[in-house]
Amino acid sequence: MRFLWSKYKLRILLFLGVFGPATITAISDNDAAGVATYSLAGAQFGYSILIILIPITLLLAVTQEMGVRIAVVTGKGLGDLIRERYGAVISILIFSILLIANLGTVIANFSALKATATMFHIPPLFLILGVVFFSFLFITKGSYKTNQRLFLFGIIFYFAYLFSAFNSQPDWGKATLNLFVPLDVKLSKEFIFAAIAVLGTTITPWGQFFVQSFIIDKHLQPDKLKFSQLETYFGAFLTDFFTFFMIVATAATLYTHGVALTSGEQAALAIKPFAGELASLLFGLGLFNAAIMGIVIISLTTAYAFSEFFGITGSIDAPFERGKMFYGLFLFQLLAASAIVLLPSVSLFAVVFYTQSLNALLLPMIFFFLLKFTNNKDLMGIHTNPKFYNYFAIAASVIIIFASSFVVVSTLLSH
Amino acid sequence: MLYFSELRNKKVYTEDLIFLGKLKDLTFLASDTPKITKLIVRNESGEDLFIPVTYTNRIDRSSIIVKKNYLQEEMVANELFILKNLLDKQIIDLRGNKVVRVNDVALQEQPFLYVAGVDIGLLGILRQLGLEIYMSRLLLSIGIRLTSQFLSWADIQPIELAYGRVLLKKEEKKLEKIKPEDLATYLERTNILNIRKFLKILDDRTAAEVVNFLNVNFQTSLFRQSRPERAAKIISLMDPDEAVDALSTLSSKKREQLLLLLDSEKRKEMQYLLRLAKTPIGSIITTEYISVDSDRSVKEVLSEIRKKTDEFSFLPYVYVTNKEQQLIGAFDLHELILEDNETPIYKFMVPNLVVAHLTSSKEIILKKMIKYRLSAIPVIDNDRHIQGIVTLDDAIQLVLPKLS
Repeated sequence: MRFLWSKYKLRILLFLGVFGPATITAISDNDAAGVATYSLAGAQFGYSILIILIPITLLLAVTQEMGVRIAVVTGKGLGDLIRERYGAVISILIFSILLIANLGTVIANFSALKATATMFHIPPLFLILGVVFFSFLFITKGSYKTNQRLFLFGIIFYFAYLFSAFNSQPDWGKATLNLFVPLDVKLSKEFIFAAIAVLGTTITPWGQFFVQSFIIDKHLQPDKLKFSQLETYFGAFLTDFFTFFMIVATAATLYTHGVALTSGEQAALAIKPFAGELASLLFGLGLFNAAIMGIVIISLTTAYAFSEFFGITGSIDAPFERGKMFYGLFLFQLLAASAIVLLPSVSLFAVVFYTQSLNALLLPMIFFFLLKFTNNKDLMGIHTNPKFYNYFAIAASVIIIFASSFVVVSTLLSH
Repeated sequence: MLYFSELRNKKVYTEDLIFLGKLKDLTFLASDTPKITKLIVRNESGEDLFIPVTYTNRIDRSSIIVKKNYLQEEMVANELFILKNLLDKQIIDLRGNKVVRVNDVALQEQPFLYVAGVDIGLLGILRQLGLEIYMSRLLLSIGIRLTSQFLSWADIQPIELAYGRVLLKKEEKKLEKIKPEDLATYLERTNILNIRKFLKILDDRTAAEVVNFLNVNFQTSLFRQSRPERAAKIISLMDPDEAVDALSTLSSKKREQLLLLLDSEKRKEMQYLLRLAKTPIGSIITTEYISVDSDRSVKEVLSEIRKKTDEFSFLPYVYVTNKEQQLIGAFDLHELILEDNETPIYKFMVPNLVVAHLTSSKEIILKKMIKYRLSAIPVIDNDRHIQGIVTLDDAIQLVLPKLS
């Protein structure tokens, strides 16, 4: 053991030094909107929906890796590069869509937060304002290091889903088998829908923006690229590792007993009769944590993107006076989203739907840029996409674009 | 004043009104008065025509007219593009001391067309969108008056040196206006390739100072990728404690390679500090101090300071040792200058010193320095031999993150 440690010590330390951004980004893809979607999918289709998990993990890994590589090699965020290569007009367009779509996602997360408040018998106003206050405090006052630690700490709460899943006494053999073999899949419009919804909450425009900004704020350098790539793959795996347990927890209880869910946020309460008090509580705790992760990370994404597009100071290491615009935009989103959620008259369904549509609109553009940048020799030097990888990346992008537009179009047609 | 956004995509005609194409870009000479040299006109078949500005009859908001017998010319050294190298890019605002984005480029028309400066304000973006007049009216109606945020050419420095054709002497002069610590902060916003380009045009001493202030991730990458000779040169000019921090993050192979390239005295110093790197104060201890024998005279000490300390970044105190090389006192430079040339130093040195040990924590050292108002504190071993010193500006790093 000691021999192994001394042999790999440097490499392990280097990896730990790099560790953070890619994992945090990937895990935040399991925000409250994500958890709600997985719960619904598990409740509706049981273990059979698990078949899409491995393909989604691969897609997430590939798309995130491109962003990571661009950031580490060029030292620039997606916003920086779009502005510098495509000018102000395109930048304003992209930023506007991103701002609105992100705000929508933040609203969805606040609404999940409100749902958990009801579940834990805390006054929603109190909880929401508390989260706004502490998020703002930690982001403005805390350094990069502190905040990264907090985010990484947040990951621990996802283990709550493991316990929930175990308490639900699922058929593990069946679950694992369904991961690899499409045994029980009954192909229907609804199934495709659910599959695409899971994909859409996992691979997001903000995720692509955030991973680059957060890497740059960490000042990672090209000589550590290998470690960053490794971390990206690890992060993608970890994310869908948790997703697996979320789906299993609802599949083993709600699907097995034929209980229909009206909304994903109700899942925690709905599994109580079958999985017990503790599992229900942990499931709720997981959702609470996921909502906070989503709120902070996604609001932060918009603030980073703004500072990249329009050239202002944008770093959580910056003191408040220098980063007023950056922190201001962060706070604005928190306040706007919580205000909308606290208004009883806002239709959450509409918010989520329009957000999804905007994300679907934005995603093709983001992938266009990602592929353009990763194939540009001037920018990437020797780190351009390998040929085979490029085909895979293009195929992945086409699948995601097709999937997300499919959801929007068919929802439009059915309403 | 004319703005590039007003000229961009404007139709270009010859004097007999034959349509040539649309204005895509302009080139200018990187010099004190950056004169516009060529028009890049994209014709309908997608080719770019490089037309020297001397062939234009007219170039303003209303029209661009080119002589019909124009000839194209190749790009020459020191020529830059407005669109490709300046517009939408990040620049250093040398006066405001920050990094900003260029939202529009301002041109002066008299006595000839040249780049006057850049607009970094909201108006610049609106102008690019073609919404300038509309939006400023709208905002004026609610009482907000928009003004251009103009920076003159002399006060800006592009943050990326992406252009190989520019003779870099000019850049160097501009860079002298920026403090090394600020330049380091700006450069951290770009990539390592660009940082290396910047360091290449700086003289070794300034380059070392900039590297001093870079984040340790950048330092490590730099030393890994630079030519070993250059890396060794920079290391020898850096503050010893910073240099050791960077060295200790390198692989042992690379570290040995670099150490071998240092002169023997510097190498010994580095090896010594590297050994201390594992102690609690390893990252802040430095060997940049001077110690003298207690029976020396003021005159001798002064000449020793002149000889030995020209590379020092900071010299607050002179330490005094006895025959066994044990630390017995110290005095500051002020006390030294006040004395007569022939006075032996033991007569006026301060004998009871506040000291630190290799095992002391950074917090304790900083507290001692603040309590006794010291700018530096000697670090000694059990036999009272000096191991190095810790200066206040290094110790203060400990609390700096909490202040900002």
